[in-house]
Order: sequence, then structure tokens, then C-alpha cells
Amino acid sequence: MSKIIALAKKELHGYFSTPIAYLMLIAMLSLFNIFFYMIISQNKEVSLRDIFQIMEFMFIFLVPLLTMKLFAEEKSTGTMEFLLTAPLTPSMLVLGKYLGMMTFFSLLIGMTVIYYVIVAYFGSPDLVSILSGYVGIWLEGAFFIAIGLLTSSWTSNQIIAAMMSYFILFLLYFTSNFTQYVTGTVKAFLIQLSTRTHLENFATGIITPSDIIYYLSGILLCLVLTRLSIDNRLWQ
Amino acid sequence: MIIVDNVIKNFGLFQALDNVSFEINKGDIVGFLGKNGAGKTTLMRILTSFMAPSSGKVIIDGDNIAKNALTIRQKIGYLPETPPLYNSMTVKSYLKFAAQIKGVPANKQRIQLTKVIEECHLEQVKNKTIATLSKGYKQRVGIAQAIIHEPKLLILDEPTSGLDPIQVQQVLALIKNQREQRTVILSTHNLTEIEQIAHRVLIIKSGKIVIDQPLSILLNENNDTHSPTQVQSQSTTLEQIFINLHHLDSTPIKSNLIQSNLIQSNQETTQCNTTGDK
Repeated sequence: MSKIIALAKKELHGYFSTPIAYLMLIAMLSLFNIFFYMIISQNKEVSLRDIFQIMEFMFIFLVPLLTMKLFAEEKSTGTMEFLLTAPLTPSMLVLGKYLGMMTFFSLLIGMTVIYYVIVAYFGSPDLVSILSGYVGIWLEGAFFIAIGLLTSSWTSNQIIAAMMSYFILFLLYFTSNFTQYVTGTVKAFLIQLSTRTHLENFATGIITPSDIIYYLSGILLCLVLTRLSIDNRLWQ
Repeated sequence: MIIVDNVIKNFGLFQALDNVSFEINKGDIVGFLGKNGAGKTTLMRILTSFMAPSSGKVIIDGDNIAKNALTIRQKIGYLPETPPLYNSMTVKSYLKFAAQIKGVPANKQRIQLTKVIEECHLEQVKNKTIATLSKGYKQRVGIAQAIIHEPKLLILDEPTSGLDPIQVQQVLALIKNQREQRTVILSTHNLTEIEQIAHRVLIIKSGKIVIDQPLSILLNENNDTHSPTQVQSQSTTLEQIFINLHHLDSTPIKSNLIQSNLIQSNQETTQCNTTGDK
């Protein structure tokens, strides 16, 4: 476990030693603030449901920018050889990087708690739906990050890693838009595949086992595939 | 300490290593020599378990690399050709990270850190960001990370490449100091470096080991093959053996060199005469 924590700390250090992390945090929070103001002033509701949906859309653009360097940079700079010849298992490597990225993401999510304080000042928001919304957006971010980690393990080029992440995330997000062209099982499958379907439930205060399984299985699948990708690189 | 048995490594249709076999004893300093693309780095990568052989067996300190890669990595310190450094980190934080992932116990990390900083003469730069260091210092940081967990085997891939002569001597001195504590394998293109520090030489040509001998025997044997007058005038160097092995005739090089020196001295004489006339 100490090796995983060391790797996670190294990742965080990598983000905060350059202005990139600060710029990302400032840019994201500024955009969230603008949307928060617009939504609250327009809807006049003490709810964060629409904010969560905006966050989901913004994360599609943000996450690949954060995750593209995770493995791609290590490969291009030659430090991957250092990591893969250290007494670390590929699983430790994957989990360490994932934990580091999740800590950064949780920090970003944590900074938006101020929105709850603001709406609570003006009214009586439904705490359960807000909490479930946060759980949903956190799980969704965790899923997106796992996808970014996977694509970063496929290449040594950060731009290519980001483009592959964008492709997968857009596909998952917009899948539900194609349901009008299909029927039956395919339609049901596309609805279930879309991230929007699952976040919508969380944002409205409904936590169902199927939604949790969707995110957890997606995360697990991506992490296992990343491990295999690292293993493959090692033993090819 | 190391047993390499009939190792073959193929990259598609290209055979990088062809039935490589050798043994290395504990405490040896072994130099891997070979032209670019001969297979030195591939062999080192297999020894560090970064890469698996296509076939064959590698046993390090009693452990088979195919079965106990993690145990073996704990016993190996490796410096790749390009030092694997994180430019945004300070020397100290990087070495601490290396100690952590290499499994140095938490209560020993500080002691090991101080030890390698002292051993690699990094005191002056320990709080500096790696990006700001000279190439020589970066190389020393690379060696420091390789020895921080006190490995039994140290593998160095071209540790002096791109360094100036003073930095080369500093790095060689650092490697020399390791020989009492661990087995060292190093590859380099600079043959005089091997002559300075290695006990034994393995010359790799097109993926095959063509020479595997203690350095002293290798040089003596080649001296014996020369005529007595030749030996008296000049003893055989590793460089000559290496050149001969790769079917290059060193004589034209020498005669060309003498010729160019003669031309240069003639030009200088002419120039002096002309100046004197004026």
C-alpha cells in the first residue's frame, strides 16, 4: 500500500509543480460558477440537479486533458523503464496513478460544495438529492478517469491519448441520442450504456444498484484493461 | 550470481539476441561491448525483467526471472541509457520516491537517502530541481536511484554517454566504488573506460556473444599473437581487438592519421618560412 501511496503522491506532485493544475482548477471552477449563477437565477430552484448535469458535460472536456499524461508521458520521457524495473506490480502502478488522479478530482469536486452552502442560505434544499448527486458525479468522474488512464496506457503520445479519450467519452455521453433510430433490446442497451441515463437518477436523488454497478463495473473494466495493457508492454 | 542460458529475443522477424549464454560471478565488474544495435540494451532489459526473452532462461541470485520477476527487481539497480528522472522534482524528493517504490523500509529511508547523496556527491544539489542540473549531475542522480535500495546487482547502460572527460572520470570513480559491495554490469562505447574498471569483457556482435573473457587474459592473449617487436613497441588495446573483431582494418586509419599530421606539419613549416621571409 505504501508504494501505491508513493506513486499517488508523485502524480499529485507532478500536477501541482506546474501551473497546469492551478489553471485547470481555476478554469473549471470559473465555468461552474458562471453556470451556477445562470441556472440559479433562471430556475429559481434550491437544487443542484442541473449543475450536476453541466458538470458531467464539462468533465468530458476536462478529464482527457488531465489523464492524457498519466502513462504517455512516462513512456515518452523514459521513466516507464524506471517504474517497470522497480519492484512494483502493474496493479500497483495502475492503482497508484489512479489514486493520485482521483485525489485531484476529489479536490475539484470538494471545492464545489460551496454551491450547497449558497442554496442552503437562500432556501431549504433536499440534502439527500444533493448528496446523491455528488456521489453520482464523483462516480462518473472516476469512470471517466479510468477511461483516460486506459487510453494513456496505449500510447506514448499525449495528444493521441486525449483524442482516444474524447472519442470514448463522447460516444458514451451521446449514445442515448441514437435511441430514436433503433428499437427493442438495442434501444434499451443504448439507454443503459449512456452515462447521462445513470447520472440523471443520481442527480434527482435516486440511487439504484444498477447505476452503481454501471459505474463500478466500468471503472473495474478500465483498470483491468489498463493493467493488461501495461503487462502486455512488459512481456511482449 | 547470474546465469543466462540460451537466451533468444526476437522482435518480429529481427533476431536481436541469438542463443546468448554466460555466467557472471558475485562481485565481478563486467563490461558489455558491441556496436550500436548489437543487442547490449536488449540483453540488459532482459536481465532487469523489463523485457521477457523469446526463449531461454535467466537466473539471478537463484531466482528465475520468468517466475520471480518482482523478487529479482528488488535485487537489481538499473540505470537505463537515458537517466529516468522527473524534471519537476528536486533531487531529494526524487530519491525519496525511488526509495519508497523500491521498498526501502520507512525507518531506513532517511539513512539511505543521506548515504547515496554522500556517495554520489550530490550534497550541493540535493535541494535543486532536477531540470536545472548539468548532465553529469543528472547521471549521478540516475546512479543514486539505482543503488538506493542496496541492490546486489547494478546494471548501467552507457553511464558515461554524453559526459565531458571530467564528468566521465567522476562517474567511473563512482562505479569503481561499487565493486566491493555489488556485482556490476555496464555497457559503453568507450573501450578505455572498460579497461579502467572491468574485470571481464563480453563482446556482443549481431546478437551473439563472440568474446567472453577476463580482461587481463584477453589483452595478454592478443599480445602473445603479436611479434616480439610489435609487443615491445605497443601492447594490444581493447579498442584494437574490438576493431579487428568487426573486420575493420585499423592500419589505413593510422596511416591516414600520420599522413594528415604530416600535411599539417608541412603546412605549419611553410607558414613559418613565409612569415620569416616577410
